[in-house]
Amino acid sequence: MNEVPRKTEQATRRQFLRRSVGGASLFGLGSATGLLGFPAQAEQAGTTGGGSGGRSLGKEYTYDVSKFFKTDPALIQYDETAKIATGLGELSAVAIGPEDRVLVAGDKAVRVFSKTGERTGEFMLDERPRCLAAAAKGNIFVGMKDHVEVFDASGARQARWNNAGGDALLTALAVAEKDVFVADAGNRVVLRYDLGGKLLGRIGKKNPDKHILGFIVPSPFLDLAVGADGVLWVVNPGRHRLEAYTFDGDLQSFWGEESLGVKGFCGCCNPIHFARLPDGRFVTSEKGLPRVKVYSAKGEFEGVVAGPELFPNQTANPNSTAAHGVCMDLAVDSAGRVLLADASTREVRVFARKK
Amino acid sequence: MLNGAMRGAFLFLLGAATTVLFRRSQAKRTVWQLDPYKCVQCNRCATECVLKPSAVKCVQVYPMCGYCKLCTGYFEPEPVSLDTGAENQLCPTGAIKRRALEDPYYEYTIDEPRCIGCAKCVKGCVLFGNGSFFLQVRHDRCVNCDECAIAIACPAQAFQRVPADKPYLMKDREHQA
Repeated sequence: MNEVPRKTEQATRRQFLRRSVGGASLFGLGSATGLLGFPAQAEQAGTTGGGSGGRSLGKEYTYDVSKFFKTDPALIQYDETAKIATGLGELSAVAIGPEDRVLVAGDKAVRVFSKTGERTGEFMLDERPRCLAAAAKGNIFVGMKDHVEVFDASGARQARWNNAGGDALLTALAVAEKDVFVADAGNRVVLRYDLGGKLLGRIGKKNPDKHILGFIVPSPFLDLAVGADGVLWVVNPGRHRLEAYTFDGDLQSFWGEESLGVKGFCGCCNPIHFARLPDGRFVTSEKGLPRVKVYSAKGEFEGVVAGPELFPNQTANPNSTAAHGVCMDLAVDSAGRVLLADASTREVRVFARKK
Repeated sequence: MLNGAMRGAFLFLLGAATTVLFRRSQAKRTVWQLDPYKCVQCNRCATECVLKPSAVKCVQVYPMCGYCKLCTGYFEPEPVSLDTGAENQLCPTGAIKRRALEDPYYEYTIDEPRCIGCAKCVKGCVLFGNGSFFLQVRHDRCVNCDECAIAIACPAQAFQRVPADKPYLMKDREHQA
């Protein structure tokens, strides 16, 4: 389907020429020699030159979005107040546990830090974690590629839930009083489980009768959260919006718009992560144009937590970010501090509202 | 008759020897290619190649593509609307074709004769999308210079010689996950 077929076509042509040589034909030898040389040289003979000689392309050939990488200082509402060096090679997720403990998943481990950043614990996993959540009672839910594992506060494994099936790629977890919600980016659906791991339902599948358009997930990011208001919020990244669902899967409302400008969500598919502040407002993070912003509980843009200037490792080499899954997972503690898992620095970066 | 048989045998042996030599030369033969993960989309592939237009073209890896309605490799950063109007298209030569599939997905295809390898679309796709657009030296036109003018100018040292029987350095989904 892609452009590779030409390669196959070319190989076939060469095989044909090779067979001609195998027939001990001098004509074949001549053809093979021609192949060894430059197949396109003759037809292109009149169109070769000697390089650019300093020629450059016009402005219309330049992709310039530099203005969007600068943040208006008046919009920045937060200061970076701390950094927690995780010691992990590859960060996957951050979550807040009881007493504002900071849980970080990465490599094949979950590490626990106090709210002031001292490491207080660690437990190992059998495979790479993808997402993380903690229940109020201390249980820790870890999402692997295709299933969830449950650990107690000391890191002892309590359960391993059934495989989510299909092309499962679990990317987010949220724990409510009696339910656990799991975002499955691979199958573009949210799975609702009880606390024991029994599958109760699937949320977000396209359903015109219920005005549900379905999740569009071009890259492996599908986040969700349950706020204090008991509403399930899920990012629909391809539609650049957040959608509110009842636990039974009815779409209640949505907000968000596409824009490279600071008020919207940029690129093909953003935001990649979000979290709820204690008062119901939203904190979002984006890829491509790495930035963290705050929106009101109704989805109105309020300000910037961290602009692209604070992510030089990501903006310097887009090849290493974008689709390649740079982690910008977010969590919010009881004091309203924003904790960002920055995979490019392997730190949890802590932001507090300016006084 | 014996003479004819000997001549036939001689030609047969000559053919066999030629085949062996040819295969050996093929095994050692290399061609130029650029590593898409090193590419910094600097435009030089379009300006430095001895061919005009360049032998470097944008290619599309469909399994990596998000089939996005808002393709950042197709649309200007701030398009007036998400349609095929020329004012909305990123490619200065109109070398990307957009076709509606099942709502809300769209297919994007490179029209190679129009592509000059400027990488403008690649930059948009890599920066904001999945990076399914990337540059490759197309060997149906590359003249395989001993010293590739683009390789010399490439600021990312993305060019290298690769075996002629594996002439492309493709991206893949696993690399992104």
